[in-house]
Amino acid sequence: MKSTFGKYVSLKRENARYNWAKAKRMRTCYLFLLPYAILFCTFFILPILTSIYYSFTYYNILEPPRFVGFQNYVNLFLQDEVFLTAIKNTLVIAVITGPVGYILSFLFAWFINELPKWLRTVAVVVFYAPSIAGNAFYIFSIIFRGDAYGYLNSILMQFGFIDAPLLWLTDPRYMLGVIIIVILWMSMGTGFLSFVAGLQGVDRSMYEAGYVDGIRNRWQELYYITLPSMKPMLLFGAVMSITSAFNVCDVPRALAGYPSTDYAARTIVTHLFDYGFSRFEMGYASAIATVLFLLMILCNKAIQSMLRKVGT
Amino acid sequence: MSENNTVKKSRGDLLHEQMVRLGELPPEKEPVNRKRIALTWLIIMVILAGLVAASYWRTNLIEGYEAQDLVAADYLADGAYGPYYRIGRLGLIIIGSVFTIVSLIRLIAPRRRKPNRSIGGDIGIYLMLLLVACAMGFPLLFSICSSLKPLDELFRFPPKVFPQHVTFDNFSDLFVTLGQSYVPFSRYLTNTVFITFVGTFGHLIIASMAAFVLAKYDFPGGKTFFSIVVTALMFSGYVTGIPNYVIMSRLHMIDTYWAVILPAFAAPIGLFLMKQFMEGLPTALIEAAHLDGAGEFRIFWSIVMPNVKPAWLTLIIFSVQNLWNANAATVVYSEEKKTLVYALQQIQAGGVARTGQAAAVTVIVMLVPITIFILSQSQILETMASSGLKD
Repeated sequence: MKSTFGKYVSLKRENARYNWAKAKRMRTCYLFLLPYAILFCTFFILPILTSIYYSFTYYNILEPPRFVGFQNYVNLFLQDEVFLTAIKNTLVIAVITGPVGYILSFLFAWFINELPKWLRTVAVVVFYAPSIAGNAFYIFSIIFRGDAYGYLNSILMQFGFIDAPLLWLTDPRYMLGVIIIVILWMSMGTGFLSFVAGLQGVDRSMYEAGYVDGIRNRWQELYYITLPSMKPMLLFGAVMSITSAFNVCDVPRALAGYPSTDYAARTIVTHLFDYGFSRFEMGYASAIATVLFLLMILCNKAIQSMLRKVGT
Repeated sequence: MSENNTVKKSRGDLLHEQMVRLGELPPEKEPVNRKRIALTWLIIMVILAGLVAASYWRTNLIEGYEAQDLVAADYLADGAYGPYYRIGRLGLIIIGSVFTIVSLIRLIAPRRRKPNRSIGGDIGIYLMLLLVACAMGFPLLFSICSSLKPLDELFRFPPKVFPQHVTFDNFSDLFVTLGQSYVPFSRYLTNTVFITFVGTFGHLIIASMAAFVLAKYDFPGGKTFFSIVVTALMFSGYVTGIPNYVIMSRLHMIDTYWAVILPAFAAPIGLFLMKQFMEGLPTALIEAAHLDGAGEFRIFWSIVMPNVKPAWLTLIIFSVQNLWNANAATVVYSEEKKTLVYALQQIQAGGVARTGQAAAVTVIVMLVPITIFILSQSQILETMASSGLKD
């Protein structure tokens, strides 16, 4: 036992010495990496670490942080009913918009790939535009406006489906649905672009070989040839769509109001905003951020391991 | 297909021909009969136009009754027939346009069809793409239309999508409003341009340097660092917002441009895309330069960088989008340092009285990234082709 352990240690030490020598030989590499690494650690790694640290304290910016142990988390899960609503809403939005947006962006990328070149260019612009259009989703507040001037209400009333205008953005029953539709509208983002580009890169002779081997329709072709060769893009797209599915904030804030009726459109991020930038309870807000962060990492790990199995 | 064409055939084409010779692929279809397609299209169009005209005639008839005879009007118009005619006309127009597109595609599309593609499926896909594209494009079109409407049309009932009297008043009003603000409009614009320019330039250089060594050299810690960056793709500005504020205030950078610019230098998406693209460069190129005695920096600057221009553009576009849309309200307090988007959003928040100007703002904010994307689309797609996450 002891000897095994000793061997292990000496192996590790040998490894470390080897790596150290290699690192010394390749110092220029570190020099190149240095500017980025410093900035990256300061603005991406350090915030995550401090956020975890602050989540165990009471901190309101004015006074120095005071250590309170797990109090923030206890409050979060046992006392804060709004947070539970927020978690529920975020999960509902994420579970619907994440997979649906992901699958839709792949399907549309795949369909677009069939088009002749000039039409493909137009289609990519049309599908990608909503996700880069800044705050163009404000226009949905006019389409879904609660009075008779709202476009949806007026159309529905003209055709006699409803008698009185519905309060799309104020009634808790419709709010989440509207938000999900708007987020789906914006979901053809970076992942979609990656899919479009990846599909063009699939070797054409593979398809013809597949035809010879007995593939008879486009769906078989998709499953046996396209999906396996697209795996790297699928993994990348998954990361992007998890990010956008969990970080829902601007859309509910702009459409359903902040705070929304009955907190029906509150998400984890809007809750974080509320505590962080309106009430300045930084410790509590950091706890929320940490929960969100853990949720995203877990989800990412699960999906990555699922996607690795595609087509193998 | 003429046999003696001089155009260089692609590998796929050659393979295809070989397969056809061996009898493994179905033989070429007969060449498209363009005349017949055009004729069919013309006939169908005439029929559809006739139906639309007839429906207009019927509606006019009903509305004519309305004027003369109230009872008949009740019987015929009654709100029951009018909408049906309207829906019917819409349907006819949609059928007509779909048919036009299908015939256009058949006229233009390559003679040789890919294997495993049924015509029915193709048409279904085109139809669905068309419908979804309309749904995706409608809100954008609608916001452009609203910005061109005069005030009375913005609040008209029932609302119409297209403006009846196109006007640019909303835009000129917007400039009047901005002209009266505490800080001149040009100041906001300068701020945003400065932030965008410096942030993008620095990001390009710093991220490319890091991407170069990560992609082309195998050094201890490099892979770990990159996998951390990939995880960081998921950190949104929201999660890091609060600690970032604290860090900024420790660094005494609150209320300076650097609070916006420095985090943008280190945006993980840029490093990620650049590294993946650089991996496609042949290593032999770099080794050859080494043998010729070039230093690392020289290799980076005069061999690698000129070869990854598509990735530059992509980085620039993502960075510009990010910085152009930055409102930075949490880290910048003085009015004279606020960004354009912030100022525009303040106008947008002005309520009902500024509905027209709000629409104009949306259009201005929206058009910049979309235009950039349209102009550089092919380079972006070239970069994105290497964006995959390898195991």
